[in-house]
Amino acid sequence: MSPVSLSPVIDLTDVLKDAPVGEWIALSKDRSEILGTGKTLEDALKAAKLRGEDEPIVLKVPPVSALIL
Amino acid sequence: MIFPFWTFPAPPAAAFPNRAFIKRPILHVTLQRGTRSVNALAIVDSGADECVFPASLGTALGVPIPNPNVYVFSGTTDQPQNAYFDNIHVHVWKHVTPGEIAFSFDLYAGFCDTLEHVGLGLLGQNGFFSRYKVTIDHTNHILEVV
Repeated sequence: MSPVSLSPVIDLTDVLKDAPVGEWIALSKDRSEILGTGKTLEDALKAAKLRGEDEPIVLKVPPVSALIL
Repeated sequence: MIFPFWTFPAPPAAAFPNRAFIKRPILHVTLQRGTRSVNALAIVDSGADECVFPASLGTALGVPIPNPNVYVFSGTTDQPQNAYFDNIHVHVWKHVTPGEIAFSFDLYAGFCDTLEHVGLGLLGQNGFFSRYKVTIDHTNHILEVV
């Protein structure tokens, strides 16, 4: 079996396509759903907690001007 | 252990008019300090000297910011940036089973405001590449950490 079939890319393009750029995002642990967003990390964590997730994955979709080189 | 690349949306730019996404060598990590923890993503970045994360993640862990363990560094510009370091524990998730840990390690990690807009951590030379043999295979979109 090839390494590619062992490890398909984890694709966040769909779940993040409408995510607010530059804000903190709280994703479900299975990476399928945005549970909360916020201008601060604390706001995103609180929103996720209201949806029943105490330990979401947190990240941002950076603005185009801030993409990592 | 083998991990897949992650694909992020990336709108077209003048230099890349046909671009819609970017593939990155990323690890899903839980950062832990005492009883506090936060789940985040970190880019495996051979060009980074240290392992640094957005300041908000440090605050969530209870890392004092600022603190005396300051490191002044620069990135792609000559503007000085301050990272405040503290000892944490890093758990790396298996990608196939969210929540299951592949491996863990202690890390003297920096936290800085200038990564705040990116929202992702950087696993760099000191602390990560110094500890593991890392192979980034962009052709097959996999990352191997041994």
